[in-house]
Formats: sequence, structure tokens, C-alpha cells
Amino acid sequence: MENRKKLPKALLNRYKLLRRTKSEKVVFTFAFIAFFIYASLIILPILYLFIMASFASADAYGDYLYLRTTNPNYTIFNIQLSNNFKNYLYIFNMEISPDGNTYHLGDMLFNSLWFCIISSTGGVLMSAFTGYVIAKYKFKGRNLIYSIVIFCMTIPIIGTTGSMLKLVSEGGLNIINTPWFVILTSLGGFGFNFMVLHAFFKNVSWSYVEAVLIDGGGHFTAFFKVVLPQATSSIITLIILALIGTYNDYTTPILYLRSYPTIASGIYELSNDLTKYFEPTGTFAVLLVSIVPIVTLFAIFSDKVMKNFSIGGLKG
Amino acid sequence: MVKTDNPKKVTLKDKIANRVYKRQHKVFEYNHSTGTVLNRKKTAIFIITMLAIPVINWLVFWLYINIQSIGLAFLDARTKQFTWDNFKYFWDQLTLAGGSGILFIALKNTLIYFGSTVLIVLPISLVISYFLYKKIAGYKIFRVIFYLPAIISGMALVAAYKELIGPGNLWDMFLHLFGKSVPQKGYLNDAHSATVVILIYTIFTSFTSNVLLFSGAMARVPTEVLESAKLEGCSPFRELIELIFPLIWPTFATQLVFTMTGIFTASGPLLLFNPPDGSTTISYWIFTSVYGPNGNGAAENAYNLVSAAGLCFTLAGLPIILGVRKLTDKIDPVEY
Repeated sequence: MENRKKLPKALLNRYKLLRRTKSEKVVFTFAFIAFFIYASLIILPILYLFIMASFASADAYGDYLYLRTTNPNYTIFNIQLSNNFKNYLYIFNMEISPDGNTYHLGDMLFNSLWFCIISSTGGVLMSAFTGYVIAKYKFKGRNLIYSIVIFCMTIPIIGTTGSMLKLVSEGGLNIINTPWFVILTSLGGFGFNFMVLHAFFKNVSWSYVEAVLIDGGGHFTAFFKVVLPQATSSIITLIILALIGTYNDYTTPILYLRSYPTIASGIYELSNDLTKYFEPTGTFAVLLVSIVPIVTLFAIFSDKVMKNFSIGGLKG
Repeated sequence: MVKTDNPKKVTLKDKIANRVYKRQHKVFEYNHSTGTVLNRKKTAIFIITMLAIPVINWLVFWLYINIQSIGLAFLDARTKQFTWDNFKYFWDQLTLAGGSGILFIALKNTLIYFGSTVLIVLPISLVISYFLYKKIAGYKIFRVIFYLPAIISGMALVAAYKELIGPGNLWDMFLHLFGKSVPQKGYLNDAHSATVVILIYTIFTSFTSNVLLFSGAMARVPTEVLESAKLEGCSPFRELIELIFPLIWPTFATQLVFTMTGIFTASGPLLLFNPPDGSTTISYWIFTSVYGPNGNGAAENAYNLVSAAGLCFTLAGLPIILGVRKLTDKIDPVEY
């Protein structure tokens, strides 16, 4: 009986505690309005791309550019849009020639695919290797490696692009403009990914490894079959984040992989290639279509990424 | 000697057993309490195998690159002889009369971008994170939308943004309400206005990961602390500044130190905006120097000039970054 009486009062107190006061409500209302405006401003460029991609023709876009600068009464609301999606077909006809050869959508898609997969998984996997060994094994040089990692992360050395180009070009490793550039440079195991996975493995109990060793298994078995699967969640999150970065990266391909244009570098070349017939409406359509794969990927994994994101280590 | 991080304390018995094992087998380590026998050789092979590729990668693509970069800074591109000319060029471009040197302009603009990150992006990220953490209406959808600029290609966003701020477009229409208008030649053809619009774009799209990190840290703040503060009549502002901020200080300090590392590399997506020279930043100057005009190849001495400038900026940044790190370390985090 006593409990019955106490429960509603406790709930009431809790409700009072969680309920927002009047002044809080005002603050939160203003914040909501600000959030709504900011969110709308983020969505607006995407909607605008859609409008730009819906021009009836390149000529219509040209007229629009001319009229909007010469006629003060001419605004965005005066433009005539196409009611079909023919501009989107331009993506299938898009071609670029960054190195003299012609590349089409298929080539760029294929290049994007392997570039993204190798760059993102290579780095994360290597970081898992280094993170695990440095977190769980004591050996000479362990602390030195850890200190170097921290030093490299805190002190960024500026202006090494020239040196990098010299190293990978002819006379150096001669891997520029080859898939080897992506493979070899992506195999770094230190940096942000290392910090995250090192923190994760530090918290994994050594008993798992011991159990494997007692059963006659080796260190590789313990790592790949027992410890690594426990880090799947963190690893997937890191790979997704890396994938987003590499998919949108256009500077690496235009500097180091001219003969392997990706979707991102292809669009960059396309919008800068003034020697060719410039198809602006088609380019807007391509830009819009190009964001679909990565937004889809993020939509699938957004919950995982959002939940796992926290500093000092992604939660496992 | 190869050892392992064993959570259980190694007893004297273990140590004796280890020594006996080592004498008998020379290659084994034995943990008496758990019964684990570690083969020293196999453990060493495992460690070397796991570390070999990343360490070689670091030696080649970090250490060698940096050593070579220092070498390039002191090298004449044509004669391949030692020279101070690259540093002279750096100094001249930094101190040219009237601040017209390209490196002075680049440095000034870089510091503007950097200042905006420290003074605008970080504090606003903190406020946004607070309201998301306090579950403002629609917080789940806001959290995803606010992260979109990190996902959507910069090319797509910049293309739309450039259009939106053009003459006769939405921004122009908005300005007409106040009797003003966008200049006929647009904002991006003038160095000063180009820097302003690129800076606004950069700030606008920079909250993404900061918000996620800060709201992640806030999620770990004990609710009891906030509840008792609320009973005392604590306002949202005081709650954020006096309670939450000290509790998430380690996260904020880490972000601050990482932001400081960008003191001489802060920039916006200038390559996509293609602004006039007066809007350049250090990063953009480095890129355009090695990429060459429209990607047509760098000048003969471009690598050397870039390396010399990079070396000077790195050395200038070193004490600043270390100083901020030391300062943030001095503030003890609140234990909870």
C-alpha cells in the first residue's frame, strides 16, 4: 500500500524535473527556429541543384544567366523548367580527357569503386593491426612508436606535397598514375584510426587471447578469430567515414591519378574543361546524381555512425 | 624480451617458473597462474608481421617525405646546389611593401579561416550540441541534417552555393527587400568579397563532426548532476557553461588542440571557388604551386619554394601548438 502511494509522487517529481520551465521553453523555441533555418539552408542547395538540373536546355540556362544580370526584374522564379529528366541522361554521355585519353562514366565508376575500397579498408585494417599490437604487447620500441604517433598527429608538417610528388614520380618510386600509388599510400597504420582502435583494444580483456593460446592456437588466430570480430562495429564506422571522405576526394586523383579519374575528379575536370562543349544543365544533373550513392550509404549506416561517434574512441 | 599485458599480477612463483622455462627451452615464457605458455619467437614474429607494413609505410611516406622536403627547401632546382634563395623568396613574399606579397596575403587569409574556426565554429558547435543533447524538438532529424555537409560532395554544395549568391538569384532577391543587390559581376570576382563568401560557406559547413563529438561527450555526463542543478533553478546557459562545459573539457580540449594544428593550413574549398589571387590561403598556394596553372605542371622550382615555405610555417606553428597543448593540460578535467 505504501509503495502504491509513493510511486505516483515519485513519478510526479520526476515529471516536474524533466518538464521545461517557461524561460527554458522560450530559449528552446528560439533555438528550434534557428535550427530550422540552418537545416533549411543545408537542404536548399540540394533543391537548387535539382532546379538547375531541370532547365529545358543549355540555351535556356544561358538565357537565364544573361537575363538575370541584365534585367533587374528577372528572377529565379521566371525560369522555364523542363518537365522531363533528359538532363540526367547526360551522365551516361559524360566524357573527360584529363591525360589525352577519353574516359566515360563506366571508367569513373570503376575507378571510384577500387579507389574508395582500397583507400578506406587498407588504412583502417592497418590501424587495427598496429592498434592491437601496441595496446596489448610489450616490446622494445612500443612507447617510442606511440610517442611518434602522438607527435605526428599534433605537429602537422606543412608543404610536403612537392616532396611527395617527387617521391612517387619518375626517378623516385614511379608509382604516380598507377593503382600502386593508392595501395602503397593507403597502408598507413597510424593517425586518427589508430587512436580509436588502440583505445578499443586496450579495453579488450587479455583472457580471450589466453584462452586461444591455451587451446593451442596462435597469436594470429587469437587476433583474427577472437579479438578482431569484437571490433567490427568500430571498424565499420571508421570504414564508412573513410569511404565518405575518399568518394568525395577529387584532389588526390587530379594530382596523382590523372589516368584513373574517379566520379569526384571526373566532375571536377568536367566543370573545368572549357575546351569541350560545356553542358551546364547536364553537369548540375551529374552533380546531383553523384551524391546519391554516398547519401544512400550514409542513410543505411547513419544510426551506427551517429551512435558510435565519440572522442577518445568510437564505442564498440 | 617479449612480454604480454596480463591483467593478473605476476607472482614470484611465475617469475621463477619463467626463469626455469627460459633456461630449459630458451624460447618460452610461462605464466603459472593462468597456465599460458607464450612462445617468445612466435610472439616476436607476430609483432613484426603486424607492424612491418605500417612501419615501412610511415618510414617512406612520412619520415622520408619530410626529410626530403627539408632537403628540397635548401636546394636550387636548376643547379642542384645548396641555396638560401627559396627562403629569401619566402621572406620577400611575406614582407613585400604594402602587404602585396602572395605569401603575406595567403598567411593573412589562412589566419582569418583559422580564427573563424576557433572563435565561431567551436563555440557554436558547443551550443548546437547542447540543444541536441537536451533533445530539442526534432533533434534526431536535425542531427542527421547537420551532418550532411560532411557527406555531400563539396563540389555539389559549392556549385549550388555559387549559383545561389549570383546576381538575380535567391540571395539577390533577399537583398532587394532591404534596397540592396548583389554586384553585377558577382562576389567571386573580387578578392575581398570572395574571401567573405567563401569564409561564410566554410563556417556554414564546418559544424558537422564537432557537433557529433561534443554531443557524444555530453551524452556521457551523469544526469544526476544536471537534475540536481535543475532543482536549484539552474538556467540552460549556466547549465552549459558551468556544468556541462567543465565535464566535457577533455573532449573540447582535444578538439581545440587538433584545431590548433591547422593554424597554417586552415582554408576553405578554394579550388572549387577558383577565386582571385587575393583570396588565396597557404594550402591553396601550395596546391596551385605544385599543380601548376590549370594542372599544366608546376614551375621548375615550385617544389623547393613550397618546401621552404612549409618548413618555415611548421617551425612557426610548433611552439604555438605545443603551448596550447600545455595550457589545456594544465586545466584538470573533472572526474566523474
